[in-house]
Amino acid sequence: MATQLIVEKDFRRIKNIILSSTRADDVFVSLSDSDSSTLRFANNQVVQHVSVHRPRLTIRVAFGLKNGSASTNRLDEDSLVAALRQAERIAHLAPDDPEYLPPLGSQSYLRMSTHIAGTANTTPLDMANRTKPVIQQCVEQGLVGAGIMSSSTNAHGVAASSGLFGFQESTDARFSLTATAEDSSGWALNAHRDVDSIDMHGMTRSAVMKALASRNPRELAPGHYPVIFEPAAVAGIFAPFLWSLSARRYHRGDSPFSGKLGSVVLDPRLTLRSDPGHPDLLGSPFASDGMATRHRTWVDQGVLKQLHYDRFTAAEHNVVPNTRPNAAILSFQGETADSVDALIAQADRAVLVTNFWYIRFVDRTDLTVTGMTRDGTFLVENGRIVAGLKNFRFHDSPLRCLKLIDAATSPTHAMTINGAKMLLPALRLPDFHLSSVTKF
Amino acid sequence: MDESPAPNRREFIHVAAGTTAAVCLGGCSLSSSDRLMMTGSRQSGAAMDRSSWSQLASLALEKVKRGGCLYGDIRLMESRNQSLRAEDRRIANINERFDSGFGVRALYQGAWGFAASSHFSEEEVERTAAKAVEVARASHLLMKSPVTLADEPIHVDKVVTRYRIDPFEVSLDDKAELLLRVSDVLHKHKSIIRSDGFLWMQRDIKLFASTEGTKLDFDLMAIGGSFGATAKRGDDYQSRNYIVPFYRTGYEHLDKYDMLSHADRIAEQAIEKVQASQPSPGKYDLVLDPAHLALTIHESCGHPSELDRALGYEANYAGTSFLTPEKLGNFQYGSRHVNLMADNTRSGHMASTGYDDDGVAGQRWPIVERGIFRGYSTSREVAGAIGEKRSRGSCRADSWASVPIVRIANVGLEPGIESLDSLLADVKDGIYIEGRGSFSIDQKRYNFQFGGDAFWEIKNGRRGRMLKNVVYNGITPEFWNSCDGVGNRETWREYGFITCGKGQPGQSGWMTHAASPARFRQINVIDPKA
Repeated sequence: MATQLIVEKDFRRIKNIILSSTRADDVFVSLSDSDSSTLRFANNQVVQHVSVHRPRLTIRVAFGLKNGSASTNRLDEDSLVAALRQAERIAHLAPDDPEYLPPLGSQSYLRMSTHIAGTANTTPLDMANRTKPVIQQCVEQGLVGAGIMSSSTNAHGVAASSGLFGFQESTDARFSLTATAEDSSGWALNAHRDVDSIDMHGMTRSAVMKALASRNPRELAPGHYPVIFEPAAVAGIFAPFLWSLSARRYHRGDSPFSGKLGSVVLDPRLTLRSDPGHPDLLGSPFASDGMATRHRTWVDQGVLKQLHYDRFTAAEHNVVPNTRPNAAILSFQGETADSVDALIAQADRAVLVTNFWYIRFVDRTDLTVTGMTRDGTFLVENGRIVAGLKNFRFHDSPLRCLKLIDAATSPTHAMTINGAKMLLPALRLPDFHLSSVTKF
Repeated sequence: MDESPAPNRREFIHVAAGTTAAVCLGGCSLSSSDRLMMTGSRQSGAAMDRSSWSQLASLALEKVKRGGCLYGDIRLMESRNQSLRAEDRRIANINERFDSGFGVRALYQGAWGFAASSHFSEEEVERTAAKAVEVARASHLLMKSPVTLADEPIHVDKVVTRYRIDPFEVSLDDKAELLLRVSDVLHKHKSIIRSDGFLWMQRDIKLFASTEGTKLDFDLMAIGGSFGATAKRGDDYQSRNYIVPFYRTGYEHLDKYDMLSHADRIAEQAIEKVQASQPSPGKYDLVLDPAHLALTIHESCGHPSELDRALGYEANYAGTSFLTPEKLGNFQYGSRHVNLMADNTRSGHMASTGYDDDGVAGQRWPIVERGIFRGYSTSREVAGAIGEKRSRGSCRADSWASVPIVRIANVGLEPGIESLDSLLADVKDGIYIEGRGSFSIDQKRYNFQFGGDAFWEIKNGRRGRMLKNVVYNGITPEFWNSCDGVGNRETWREYGFITCGKGQPGQSGWMTHAASPARFRQINVIDPKA
């Protein structure tokens, strides 16, 4: 049975075996299954091509407040029962967890069409054929191309003794290219449920153009500069904001948002929502504990409206629990520019950033992060790109640099370099701290 | 500073090529019957029947050969992992994970294919091997220069991690109690607002077989842990951590690093840290402890000396390297005090697995010798690109489901001649940094910025009061060239890593970086606030 992706019928059978084989007070089962293919290319040729099927099932059981979990990737009946017994043994030996809560009851999930046949049916040969013109374009321009083309079919299931049940099939296709010249490079990345919604040709043209346009980069002294961030760069600087919305931290005293719920934390024209069902995003109808995801507003016109309340913290503070921001959209209310080019055209002088790399917290109390610009950094003067620039390290906080925005586009596809997807605007900011320069 | 007990020095065990004797990393070997008894006594009941593995391997290799491939290999694996996570006086999670499956590599006319599955049956092994060949044939369409593999002797061997106490035989009661007792001690201090604790252990049983005739059995163990405390004062909060380094051994490792006896000190230092002042930005002499240097070495030496990066294989994500091949043998990476050795034969170190996932025997070689860049970590695929006849044996996959890629070896800073006191004695105005904090480095590994876990000022040769929010920035070769003293053998410590991210799809690499403390002159300490 493990040779095919798990379907809902299989998952119900698995759930029934587990639920009927234990006397634990609570049982919670979660499944993730994935059949994925990734083609990697570098130096204008394929260097790796993998096809992997990898299921994982996790069983959590509880006796009173004592709980434990075990996971396995073998889904035959004997292995399921063995994993269940192991979870039971752990639960018996575990100390009481004062924060333990029984599984959620039945939920009503958003209906989402997350499975696209065209992506599921992509073969290794299709991937090679789709990649071929990408490499050709790099070769024709005298550039070296490296990147990935991937497609996967996934299944996620949650079920519990409380009646909770959810199952969702989804597909995911990805393409990324780094085009490199002697002393410059350009980059593009996108992911979508539908492989045909990824504009590989346009992305390739953009990465190639960036590599060509940033040749012979100039070195600009570090300092505070007006900047134009492409959506991927906004994703990089904004992601730490999204990671830090924990109400648990807020109430226990180690949150950068301490005391700021209900206050202005971003430019008053910025609104942050999550929209799990958005067809261009990769949202899910339920979180890992089975809680239904919902359309939510986190920041409304710059004001922090909501935190992520896990169930225990929610109960402590008598509020309704929610899920982490799932499928984030940041939008700018007001007149927007049509494109990054329009933002460039309006700028007297700015540093244009394609993407960031290796973003890490420096100071969690004010969300100060550091990182590097990467694969396409330019100097803009008098409304046009005048030169490529050597890459900068930055040192700044989204709570500072997104307080005031000069101009923005509408939200569009934005990927962090680590592969998380959001819909974000490109932004022009009056001040950003580019703290040091590197040698390329 | 580092008050953890010095790990016992262990003998080097060099793995002889072509040997058929059981290799024991960590000392001695267990007989087959001992191993069977160990396996048989496991209480989980989830250990699988591995009697068919050898036959399944033959089946896969036969299928790959019949598919027209000149090379192929298979790894069959069964892993068992247990982790406990504590948070704020409670055990937040105890999980046990069983993960098993196999991955087949096929090289068709110089193009790679890889397919993996978790279903152990003859049909599925054949289907997966055929899939690997299909994928390789598709790759061949986009092949410019065919892959050739550097020669390696055929090995038939068995590798077993030596340990005294099987971590999976120690009761969960004891493990949970240890974390809870640590957490109780931390929270006795009123300013401690948060705490965490972590124990982790993993056993990997693996069979590697190739069409060349290499056949390797592995039974590997690893263990590690940590705890941390966060203190609050006014609007500021600061944390302090204690690490039980990841190591290839048994549960006795936790006794040696005795978490409980360090809990009070860690809480007190978190509180001292949150009350400490931060240094004004400027140039300082830094003395960096081994737990800190382990990460500096990882980022600024380990990654740039991966040959696949230098050749552009990782250009799209993990990045490339400033250590390009023409620099080999002539580039002044660091000062004459800087000797960075790769050693995948050192017992207990995370990448010391006897052989890598290319079936190449573990080796010891220089990366940087007296400051000069001397060598790369390589695989059979890339070794030839710099004219090397043999792979360094540093090609590893993080599971059966991942394809092997070049990985950082156990790269360590060789001891020098100084005592810790003599390193400090020559510093007028400096900072001593212990442990890991914020870290970031550009994709070619030039411009880096590191924080730490704990900081002390050094005034006129002596360690003084604690500091906080110390962050330094530099350019890799300038930084290593400013090193003018390295601690001696007595100050040498080993730190294992299990979360080195690389590859697409992403994989977690394991390796150990050992170091003695070292002194660096006039390093740029910056203002950490935005």
